[in-house]
Amino acid sequence: MATIESIQSAYIDYVLTQGEQPKSVYVFAKKNKITEEEFYRYFGSFEALEQNIWAETATKTIAEIKTQEIWPQYSSREKALSFFYSFFELLKGSRSFAVYSFNRQPKGLSHPRVLDTLKVIVENFADDVIKQGLESGELADRRFLAKRYKDGLWMQFGFVLNFWINDNSAGFEKTDEAIEKGVNVTFDLFQRSPIDNLLEYGKFLAKNGKFREKMWV
Amino acid sequence: MIKMSDQRNKEQSSMPTSKVERSARFVKTGFQVGGNYIKHYSKKLFNPDLDKSQLNEDNATDIYASLSELKGSALKVAQMLSMDKNLLPTAYVDKFSQSQYNAPPLSGPLIVQTFKKYFGKSPEQIYDRFNLRSTNAASIGQVHQAELDGRKLAVKIQYPGVGDSISSDLKLVKPFAFRLLGMSEKELDVYMREVEERLLEETDYELEVRRSVEFSTACANLQNIVFPEYFPSLSSKRIITMSWIDGQHLKEFLATNPSQELRNQIGQALWDFYNFQQHELRAVHADPHPGNFMITPEGKLGIIDFGCIKEMPEDFYYPFFSLTSTNLLEDKEETIKAFRQLEMIHTKDSPQQIEFYYTMYKQMISLFAKPYMSDHFDFGETAFFDDLFNFGEQVSKMPEFKQARGVKHFIYVNRTNFGLYNILHELKAEVKTDTFKPHLVMA
Repeated sequence: MATIESIQSAYIDYVLTQGEQPKSVYVFAKKNKITEEEFYRYFGSFEALEQNIWAETATKTIAEIKTQEIWPQYSSREKALSFFYSFFELLKGSRSFAVYSFNRQPKGLSHPRVLDTLKVIVENFADDVIKQGLESGELADRRFLAKRYKDGLWMQFGFVLNFWINDNSAGFEKTDEAIEKGVNVTFDLFQRSPIDNLLEYGKFLAKNGKFREKMWV
Repeated sequence: MIKMSDQRNKEQSSMPTSKVERSARFVKTGFQVGGNYIKHYSKKLFNPDLDKSQLNEDNATDIYASLSELKGSALKVAQMLSMDKNLLPTAYVDKFSQSQYNAPPLSGPLIVQTFKKYFGKSPEQIYDRFNLRSTNAASIGQVHQAELDGRKLAVKIQYPGVGDSISSDLKLVKPFAFRLLGMSEKELDVYMREVEERLLEETDYELEVRRSVEFSTACANLQNIVFPEYFPSLSSKRIITMSWIDGQHLKEFLATNPSQELRNQIGQALWDFYNFQQHELRAVHADPHPGNFMITPEGKLGIIDFGCIKEMPEDFYYPFFSLTSTNLLEDKEETIKAFRQLEMIHTKDSPQQIEFYYTMYKQMISLFAKPYMSDHFDFGETAFFDDLFNFGEQVSKMPEFKQARGVKHFIYVNRTNFGLYNILHELKAEVKTDTFKPHLVMA
């Protein structure tokens, strides 16, 4: 009896040894002695299968970091950092597949389609973390902009993933550096900054224009 | 249980990442220093009496600001420059001294990640308690407090990518070093390589643990010195676990107005520690900056960092210590022979040059060796240090010393000995200087 896991690992084994996708679901099913129906019970296509592998890595990561004793004490910045580190640590275990799957995607402005499901999970996670940060006052609640914070984190995620795919430093130490610096920069932008104060001040001056005229003119 | 820092530091995120960014940082400093000179000379047009201390101060501030943003090897170079008080005007030294403390910390998740990478476990699974907030920053790492089986531990964690950036950082620092020291690139190369070698060794925590165990065992019988116990099984390429030493740093210790007796005791321990290593082990803890020492409540000297070890080969040891510790200096011919061995006098030097360098180096070495000339020495004596600094100042203005001389071993040996002298001076300690004498087989 085929399971999600057995089909996934058979697929990973196939693409990594053959270097390409099976010609059809029929070929793949026959080779692994399952029926096409069994395959379609779980996945609509090879792409859906790949999407699921990516998504599972994220789900596992989130479940794992939330069990850490330290988790409740982390700020939202640290929760995001923790997710990034753990995700890439976990992904290391199936790096060959990740590189294969990622590099097969057409390079474009939008994210690769195999990451569709992963994106939803990462964004939900980012949403939670950002909400927590907004509530605690760690992050600045800017009208319109605050809703886009999760997009910022997703972009950062895409950047680090790209970096990791091309990273050839021992132990992927450079990726660690990229995460530490990149996520921190992203969160610095989410935090209250001098620009916010400047805008506030500008608003104040605009509202109190008359008062200003009296003072100086 | 884990304690957490509740706020993230901002400084860290402003650390320039890539080599390009770092270069940009240095270029910017270059402009600023250039600007400082312009400022200085335009002011001087109107006020010819203006001395250079304002200029030095301005330059030091700008250089320091850029160095402190470049954590890692650049900071190390800053530390090293700050040890050579004799080489740099005082304003530089004051600013550079800042770099011996305070560097921004790593995020909690990165620390957890580092542990997972090397032990497959999080710090909370390894120790009974682990404080994710660092207590102390070293230039290439930071120190955390932990507890295991009722023992207080110090856990040192290295910043990722330090080893990688050392070579490229040094290349960036070079032009500044040339300008600061007024030397040419070709001459400095052999010295720069020596520095690079030592710095790279410092990033190897496995080597550091091995050496720490070796040295603390070898020095175990010295009086009034304590070493942490090292735990190799809880250490890795980027993590060192050792027992925690309670105590004060030198500055804090001095602020408590310790008695002369106590200062002497600490000074003596320091002197013995260094001279025992130089003459019995022929390898020396070459990083005598105050951050590497603790003074325990029992009045003992704790030594907490063996990252930088300088080994002294025989062809350096014999000529050098024959000069400082025998009456060799009275024999001109033998002295010149030793100077030649140490490349302080070159083969292509003219007779006038030989005479010049002979006189200067003889003066320098007899000054340096003064503490060794009798059985005890009072490092509180300011006259000795004034002489040293004045001589350094005088030498730094001589065009003959614009070119580098002396074998590469001098860099770390000088750094060690001047560092030692400086600390002893700050302690105002009186020490017995004949406790560990050089072993010289020369006649």
